Amino acid sequence: MGRFWRLVGAVALALFSLMVLAQEEDDPAKEAEKQKKQLLEQSGGILPSDLYVEQGEQLFKAKRGPKNASLEACDFGRGPGKLEGVVGRLPRYFFDTRRVEDLDSRIRTCMIRLQGFKPEEISRSEVVAIAFYIASLSNEQPVVVRPLMPQEKKLYELGERLFYLRAGPRDMGCATCHVTYVGKRAGVLPYSDLLKDKRAASHWPAFRYSNDQAWTMADRIRACYANLGMPAPDFYSEPIIALTLFMNVQANGARMDLPGFIR
Amino acid sequence: MRRIYLLIPLVLLGLALGQTGPSYIDAELQRLIQAGGQSYANSLLKQAPDQALCSIHRNKLPADVLGPFIEAQRQTIKYPADGKLMGDWKQGDAIFNTLARGNCFSCHVGSPRNIGGNVGPSLEKYGQRGTSEAVQKYTYEVIYNTWAYFPCTVMYRFGHGGLLKPEEIAHVVAYLLDPASDFNTKPALKR
Repeated sequence: MGRFWRLVGAVALALFSLMVLAQEEDDPAKEAEKQKKQLLEQSGGILPSDLYVEQGEQLFKAKRGPKNASLEACDFGRGPGKLEGVVGRLPRYFFDTRRVEDLDSRIRTCMIRLQGFKPEEISRSEVVAIAFYIASLSNEQPVVVRPLMPQEKKLYELGERLFYLRAGPRDMGCATCHVTYVGKRAGVLPYSDLLKDKRAASHWPAFRYSNDQAWTMADRIRACYANLGMPAPDFYSEPIIALTLFMNVQANGARMDLPGFIR
Repeated sequence: MRRIYLLIPLVLLGLALGQTGPSYIDAELQRLIQAGGQSYANSLLKQAPDQALCSIHRNKLPADVLGPFIEAQRQTIKYPADGKLMGDWKQGDAIFNTLARGNCFSCHVGSPRNIGGNVGPSLEKYGQRGTSEAVQKYTYEVIYNTWAYFPCTVMYRFGHGGLLKPEEIAHVVAYLLDPASDFNTKPALKR
């Protein structure tokens, strides 16, 4: 626990000076790289995402919940306890739940099934920290999401249709910005090209240095809806998994940059 | 009894819209959306037939759909009660430059108060077009229902979507067109 708090202190200090020094580049990828370098120099080699990874590792390995069990037996698709590269292979179909699950919902499943937590007891911040830990073990691994099972094919197809759906008082739809207006700015960041730029989906979960938040893809998707005044789909719900599946397939072949470090 | 008679045309209209409008959300997509929770589903499942058309055609309407689509969008446009399409540019300034109201600056360059985005065309010195009736009408209508001019575009249909009242849209028109408006007298902020 001592190392944990030393990390907290170092990161808080570095973040503070980062905000003071903030000066922006035009290319968001270059800008993030610059900020990352600055942060690393100031903190003595520690990033805020390291903190979440560390916290996630503790949560993953600790015996917790009504069943007093760790998550080490959790199967993320490559067998119980095998964590290397799993993030690049999700979402996928799981025989035990008979559902297609993404990283977030699979963590939740294991917290319920292995540790005995009730669904309403699951803490979102714990799931995010655990997601960061698992993501750290998939860094530099390729994205390989190929819908082969009928359930995966079906959900991919529905995810694609949801991606193009427009609704609400602002006629919101994912594709409107992320296909038609890629590279253009409404506000600070240009819209990422979710169909052609493989980097777009391959850096989640990510730390956002602009608002000091740890986000998974689910948080990213929910913020897209909220930004346009739409109610967001529930955490761990199928629309989020379907959209993630659709986007991750577009990122196939990309080398994952995890945990991501973005504005 | 008279109330019931008044309801009949409404019910018929509802049936007609329900039966003739194109639909994008089939039973399977509906089930997926419902899994996202009550308020999410309530919002998405209310998809209007014109939104369905843009979804079906992925925002690029084919030629045979385009004409009737634009005509239907035109029909939705309503004007201020007093008929004035140019209101008070100072009130328009507040709407144009507020994120939670017009949020115009996020996508358009031209405001002297906020750095503009480039999702939409630059509106820098928009007032150079003059204040003829035609220019006022075009500007008002594009803001009220942009799909009447740019089908399926990303810009909100402010009047049609109930985001701004006709009088508020007239204020924004004045902000853009009035020669005395800050929009036309002060330099635009750019990146």
